[in-house]
Amino acid sequence: MTVYLFYLLSFIAILSALMVVFSRNPVYSVLYLIVTFFAIAGHYVLLNAQFLAAVHVIVYAGAIMVLFLYVIMMLNLNTYNEMQKANWLRFGAVVSGCLLMVVLVGSLKGAETMQPGAVHDANIGLVSNLGNVLFKEFLLPFEVSSLLFLAAMTGAVMLGKKSIRS
Amino acid sequence: MVIAGLGVIAMLSEIFSFKKLLYPLVLLGLLAAAVLAGLDWNHDTRIPLFGNMIMFDNFSAAFTIVLSFTGFLWFIMARDSFNEESSLTDHYALALFSLAGAVVMVSFGNMTMLFLGIEILSIPLYVLAGSRKTDVHSNEAAFKYFLMGAFASGFLLFGIALVYGATGSFDIPKISLYVAEHATNLPGFFYAGVLMMLAGMAFKVSAVPFHFWAPDVYQGSPTTITAFMATIVKTAAFAALFRLFSNCFIPAATTWSGVVWTLAALTLLTGNITAVYQQSAKRMLAYSSIAHAGYMMLAILAMNKFSATAVLYYTASYSVSTIVSFTVLQLVAAHKGSDLLESFNGLAKKNSFVAVVMTIAILSLAGIPVTAGFFAKYYIFTSAIDSGFTALVIIAVIASLIGVYYYFMIIINMFFKESTDDSPFVIGAAHRFLLIVCTLLILALGLFPDIILRFWI
Amino acid sequence: MQAGAAAGSAIDYIPIALMFIVAVGFVAGTMYVTHILGPKRQTRIKQESFECGIEVQGNARTPFSVKYFLIAILFVLFDVEVIFMYPWAVNFKQLGVVGFVEMMTFLAFFLVGFYYIIKKGALKWE
Repeated sequence: MTVYLFYLLSFIAILSALMVVFSRNPVYSVLYLIVTFFAIAGHYVLLNAQFLAAVHVIVYAGAIMVLFLYVIMMLNLNTYNEMQKANWLRFGAVVSGCLLMVVLVGSLKGAETMQPGAVHDANIGLVSNLGNVLFKEFLLPFEVSSLLFLAAMTGAVMLGKKSIRS
Repeated sequence: MVIAGLGVIAMLSEIFSFKKLLYPLVLLGLLAAAVLAGLDWNHDTRIPLFGNMIMFDNFSAAFTIVLSFTGFLWFIMARDSFNEESSLTDHYALALFSLAGAVVMVSFGNMTMLFLGIEILSIPLYVLAGSRKTDVHSNEAAFKYFLMGAFASGFLLFGIALVYGATGSFDIPKISLYVAEHATNLPGFFYAGVLMMLAGMAFKVSAVPFHFWAPDVYQGSPTTITAFMATIVKTAAFAALFRLFSNCFIPAATTWSGVVWTLAALTLLTGNITAVYQQSAKRMLAYSSIAHAGYMMLAILAMNKFSATAVLYYTASYSVSTIVSFTVLQLVAAHKGSDLLESFNGLAKKNSFVAVVMTIAILSLAGIPVTAGFFAKYYIFTSAIDSGFTALVIIAVIASLIGVYYYFMIIINMFFKESTDDSPFVIGAAHRFLLIVCTLLILALGLFPDIILRFWI
Repeated sequence: MQAGAAAGSAIDYIPIALMFIVAVGFVAGTMYVTHILGPKRQTRIKQESFECGIEVQGNARTPFSVKYFLIAILFVLFDVEVIFMYPWAVNFKQLGVVGFVEMMTFLAFFLVGFYYIIKKGALKWE
């Protein structure tokens, strides 16, 4: 049953991801992106990583998407003008995208026969296990990430504040 | 100890919004960080901290010293350029955060730390590049840098994920062990992961197929920030790249050495040839910094016992020379109001001190003997020849001959062309001090190259 | 967040999936049904969007202030910070004093950031 669920979720994820790219209206793109995020959260649940699923919904589908919408509202979208890109540029983009896909598919093709490097533990994605790893083994990255947040805060305030004053 | 250094740097940036005493404090703190890193020297073993998240060895100590000292010089250089702006302390804080990220990058022992380091290095820089908010070029620079940087991080992360999938660990020693044991039957996506990580890092060091952002970003950003990108970012990125590849992926060298070879050759040729055609001195220096990335790729390719030293020596001499050239460029641009090559006309008559200093820095960048740049190139080349990459070294020598041509254009402008106006050209005491220190360093490194090398081998 | 469900598996999520389906289905269903059932009298005035009886000026797509964005981006940062607290809270007893100190260090960084934001007046409206 989970196999069917996996295919269903993957189908939804890929379809809505394609719709993100092909939608003409950026707001639709954002909405499709939310659908993609939900499908991926479903994948996390299938992998038994509940915490990631919850975080994914809260942060990505919730907070980040709001930011996307803000940006779209900030741009003036009354006039629709798509920049004309040179043809060779498009061609190059398509070719390199396809090449990347070939490389990835080719390299992942042999993957199912190999022995996984890490022993799979079904409970590894549970919140308590994750907490144990995060606060013991990965303690330093955790603290250092607070530095990253601090930098982001300073940057956001610095760039955003001028618009308050003037 | 790197954590102490980090702590000092971070804590310093905290006090920022409340004190005006910040500036001397920052300088002292950076020197202290360098000294602390120096104290950790010569523990023969590696010091793993926090479960191998950070591995502090001689390699990272040396690079931490270079980074904090470059940061020190940079802060002297940047002093005047931020003063008129209200957000002075923000600039300091962001630069310090970025520096902390650089320190993490040169001493990571785990892929997560590598990634965090790169992000901490980059995110403040995206903001700093756009810190001249009313300037369209600055905005463009920030935006381009941000988009390209985000893509690069994405590639890097995807690469890390694939490598994790293949080896089952984020830990550098474990990965290296796994790769060494299973060298013959690694899955295909391991190689894909390595190549994607290489692509991500190549974005950061602006190696050629991934260099398109560099000229615009370097030109659009405020000159001081450009100097920061050209020195500290490049040093940290190369140190991280070297550390990553030398510690992890040597057994898989056959896959990536061809790619690195091509990258290096392309970077050398494109960077140097395009630089010849530039009108703006700033843009020319941007292309020259791309070209220098090419030389450093040689050391990564060579990957013998000598190349770590070669990278260290190269980054140190390159950073110092670049700081000088950007300082002079900034002064000239402020004086003339443009950064075209013509602005340098007749500089020697107006202020012979600045002209001479600039000449030395440029000779060092071009790799003319007695300056640091000559030995830097020399060591890189010998290390590459040792590993049997003679053809690439020949390309590099040709490229540096082209380099000499455009570097001399500036010198000719300074000494043999007349300036159109004759307003006096004066510089402040701080800049004078900075230029003297840097020039002495360039000459010292050039005359006694073993002051860095002696510690190593 | 089901912290206690130690041996959780995908099957446990069927109620949640059901809830999603019902919620989405209810919204879609009511929209469709009102569309079917309601009377249709289409005039130009009926087609206009309803703005409390005030006549509409321009359209909805006007660029608006960056202030909102600044607030939103700060919100995201603190949102992510709170995320880190979930696994900490679940393991609070087990991690003991060390875990507490770890979290307090993390929070101290954030408080400094918060103080900075207030000091800079980033949250002031005007």
